[in-house]
Amino acid sequence: MQPAIISVNHLHKHFKIYKHHRGALGALCNLFTREATTVRAVDGVSFTIQPGELVGYIGPNGAGKSTTLKMLTGLLTPTGGEIEVNGRVPWKQRRAHVAHIGAVFGQRTTLWWDLPVIESLDLLQYIYKIPPAQFQHNLDEFRTMLELDPFLNTPVRSLSLGQRMRADLCAALLHDPPLLFLDEPTIGLDVVAKERIRQFILHINRARGVTVILTTHDLADVEKLCERVMIIDYGRVLFDGRLESLRDRFGGQRELVVDMAEEYATVDVDGATVAAREATRVTYQFERNALSASDLIGRVSARYRIRDLMVREPNIEDTVRRIYEERLLDEE
Amino acid sequence: MNPLKYSANRLQNQDLKLFWHLIQLGFQQQFSYRAANLAGLMTNFFFGLLRASVMIALYAARTDVAGMSLQDAVTFTAFSQAIIAYLSLFNWWRVMLAVYSGEIASELLKPTNYFTFWLAQDIGRAIAHFLTRGLTIMAAYALFFKITVPQTVGQWLALAVTLVLSLLVSFGWRFLINLTAFWTPDARGIGRIAFGLSWFLSGFMMPLRFFPDWFVRLCHLTPFPAMVNTLLEVYLGLLEGRALLGALAQQVLWVIALFALCQLVMRAGVRKLVIQGG
Ligand SMILES: Nc1ncnc2c1ncn2[C@@H]1O[C@H](COP(=O)(O)OP(=O)(O)OP(=O)(O)O)[C@@H](O)[C@H]1O
Ligand SMILES: [Mg+2]
Repeated sequence: MQPAIISVNHLHKHFKIYKHHRGALGALCNLFTREATTVRAVDGVSFTIQPGELVGYIGPNGAGKSTTLKMLTGLLTPTGGEIEVNGRVPWKQRRAHVAHIGAVFGQRTTLWWDLPVIESLDLLQYIYKIPPAQFQHNLDEFRTMLELDPFLNTPVRSLSLGQRMRADLCAALLHDPPLLFLDEPTIGLDVVAKERIRQFILHINRARGVTVILTTHDLADVEKLCERVMIIDYGRVLFDGRLESLRDRFGGQRELVVDMAEEYATVDVDGATVAAREATRVTYQFERNALSASDLIGRVSARYRIRDLMVREPNIEDTVRRIYEERLLDEE
Repeated sequence: MNPLKYSANRLQNQDLKLFWHLIQLGFQQQFSYRAANLAGLMTNFFFGLLRASVMIALYAARTDVAGMSLQDAVTFTAFSQAIIAYLSLFNWWRVMLAVYSGEIASELLKPTNYFTFWLAQDIGRAIAHFLTRGLTIMAAYALFFKITVPQTVGQWLALAVTLVLSLLVSFGWRFLINLTAFWTPDARGIGRIAFGLSWFLSGFMMPLRFFPDWFVRLCHLTPFPAMVNTLLEVYLGLLEGRALLGALAQQVLWVIALFALCQLVMRAGVRKLVIQGG
């Protein structure tokens, strides 16, 4: 096995929030009292990531995703624990560290607000000290893939959200970083724009071997991109593994939809319940662990004539929503 | 529009090249604020006229105060108004705003020294202000008053040197004040006090030589005279020989001290920075 590109060990970040008194007298109080509550934004996170992985880092609002990413990118100093990225400690060697990563925080831009996109990108060439040939090569590739040409000369402040995100992605990769951090890269984008961004992320991961960590609230991103997913909540890792195994464990009931050749009086079979029935169409629900789909199909077809059928996996959205809401992973 | 653009690509050293490009950036960005610049120009100019007439009233029948003629004194008001924008004396909150808005995240994600990153941009800004505000105000004044101008090559040379040094001292001080934003949510309040101090102690309001000796000596324990007073006295040709060299040396020392302090404080600040949002 290759050495890990990221290793994180018992990472903690606690924020102290000082109680704020209101009003003029309150302001005076604020100077002298320091009543604080502690928020454990990241509370003992450990993981390693191998070069070339594409990892989804998901969790509900306030779970600690952005805080983790800020520590990984060297923007925040951990309260405790260790991080090593590319053999460096991000917060101790910030400049060397950020020279070898790319990062897009979806909510804000790394580009200059009042400069045309192309001038921002030009400046990055000097900031990252990218050799001209390499810069030109990368720029040519990214501007085609991300279709930047129509707005290369537009000031960043006038770009639409989707355009800005594409420009930012390009900006994050011009210096060929082996590692890319994306905090909600598809936030607020329409279906087409999301798909284009996903294609691009997939491309740079597959074709260029860039290791990617992304956070998102859109599970379609994770489904389409990530073989590995980490779920965090309350600052802890609740799950770290393949998406399918999550589905296997918590997916709940699968569905078999059958179009019968005729309308039968009863359509019951062992091991499945009839969830819906509409003319000749019957929907069975069954436990994935108790019965395989082919067994169930066998049982149905033994008793009834079938015209057509379809197995439906539980929706990943529903699965994850249940994990968040019912805190299914908490006891482990 | 950008006369600095050419030579950049000739530079071989990568760091210098970046520095030069950032100067350009700061220069160029000034031209996005045309209306604000025009308003600033008018304010500087008319406020200067007011100050000049106060000065004339103050001189009344006298011809010389502390070695300055009335013409020198009027030139003092003109020149000090002309360098407000160049030195950005009472108004520079870029780093503070970046900290409070969280924009600093984007800046710290770039592999540059954060201090140098802003220093270069501030130099660009200063060049733009020197041209658009400094020269214009001096020229406009010359229409209304008889104004003192450096006479010898040596004086012009000394002026060029002290102009640069004053900007560096002023930048170090402004950057330091902005850094308080890393610790307190009310850096602007601290900044107001700090800039008020510099208004009074730098010799901007009145030439320091008008004040009693003990007060002047007190001022010279602070970096403020090195921002404005030295520059003004060099322009008016009030310093010569060893006094001139001493004043320039003092500026150099303040640049070194302030820059070192900025780097130290910045490092401590970045470590404890809390980036909002996301
Ligand atoms: N600067 C800060 N000061 C105080 N508390 C903070 C700060 N930044 C984050 N927190 C708290 O830490 C927790 C984790 O926040 P974080 O931004 O990491 O969540 P997230 O997983 O990115 O959520 P979202 O999906 O909403 O972006 C939250 O409870 C948040 O209120
Ligand atoms: Mg977040």
